[in-house]
Amino acid sequence: MLSGNWPSELSQFLWVAPTVLLGGLAVVLGKRPFYREFPCFFAYVLYVVADNILLYALLKVKVSGNHYAYAWAATLLPSIALRFGVIDEVAKNLFRESQFLKVAARRSLQVITGLLLGTGILFAVWAPGNTRPQWFASVMVVNRGAAMVQTGLLLSLLLFSRFLGLSWRRHAFGITLGLGILASVDLATYALRAEFAGRNWTRFLNFILTGTYFVCASIWTRYLLVPELKPVPVTVVPDEEVETWNKELQHLLRQ
Amino acid sequence: MEQGIATLAPAMIAAWFLVVVGLIALAVLLYAAMRSRTSPGDLEEAVQAFRSLDIEAFRNLVDSDEEAFLRDHLPLRKFREIKRQQAWAAFLYAWEAGRAATGLAMLGQAAQRSSDPKIAASGAQAAENAFRLRVQTFKAGLILLAGVLFPDLQSRPIPALVDQYERSAETLFLIGRVSSARGLVGSKSA
Repeated sequence: MLSGNWPSELSQFLWVAPTVLLGGLAVVLGKRPFYREFPCFFAYVLYVVADNILLYALLKVKVSGNHYAYAWAATLLPSIALRFGVIDEVAKNLFRESQFLKVAARRSLQVITGLLLGTGILFAVWAPGNTRPQWFASVMVVNRGAAMVQTGLLLSLLLFSRFLGLSWRRHAFGITLGLGILASVDLATYALRAEFAGRNWTRFLNFILTGTYFVCASIWTRYLLVPELKPVPVTVVPDEEVETWNKELQHLLRQ
Repeated sequence: MEQGIATLAPAMIAAWFLVVVGLIALAVLLYAAMRSRTSPGDLEEAVQAFRSLDIEAFRNLVDSDEEAFLRDHLPLRKFREIKRQQAWAAFLYAWEAGRAATGLAMLGQAAQRSSDPKIAASGAQAAENAFRLRVQTFKAGLILLAGVLFPDLQSRPIPALVDQYERSAETLFLIGRVSSARGLVGSKSA
């Protein structure tokens, strides 16, 4: 049976659970050579854990709303920077095996980043936020813009991989999926938070955000703790069929 | 007050628009996650697609001499009609070649992870060629679509695509030859 205080208890659970999950994940990953392959993601996980502990402690010692908001805003910017670092890492991992893609796809990603940044700035001008104090609205708008660029970049990586037939490594895909979910929910919730400052709205959106952190922490744990699949011999098509392709291709080349 | 409402309305529209964008992005990500579970890629389909393409017919469709001949000898209306049909047919070829290139890239990457250095090397080469072919088919597709929409425009030559297709076919042949001698290898993606 639910206690009368269940919203507060659920909120605490959604705050503590992803922190514990990510803390455990960081300990396990720290013992593996994983952090050499994805150093930014490793740093991001450590940062999120430290950030959550700090903000939770501030809430528990009952600092004023303003002080809490300053602390939250101050810890937001490094988090945004680290997320961009993670996206760069994932992109490098995806294009690692092709010299052509290292140049062509990264150039395309730079163009996409430019376009998304431009769109983010246009939105900042068009909808500069309606909450008070104004600096708080500005932080929401900056976070909204960053989430827009991050979501766009992560979706572009998924579309590129599908378009080009690139195969993902399990770990890189898990990181992309988790971060993509986080960024897209950030985009939706910060778009609303920039415009609606009501207490009920804030509480509802905080639920969604902390719930999303929990989901993403679970996704990262699931994908990163399961070992990468090793290449296994698969007989996709019988040898005689390969021979038939060869004949067909020889025929094609002779034309 | 009216002014306040007027300035608030675009902000509200922007907010809800971004909410929709965020939710669509979320749906795409979840779809990608589910797809990655189910389909490691059908390599046989890729080769079937490669096999079904008649590159010589494509070459004829985008031949600039042929176009000049038609332009000189047909009435403008008839020329436009034929040009549109040719450009559309060539676009479909480029589309299929692009799909085949995607399949070839997957085959190449699977072979690239082989423990046999020869298969791995030819796999890497095939994947690299397939990526280039994919990008070229995309560019060619855009040019051909422009030809469908504006048949009066002088067509830009698309020779690189044909060359790239042949290079890709050669590497596919190479993988097939090495693989059939040693057993085909592959791996599942994420």
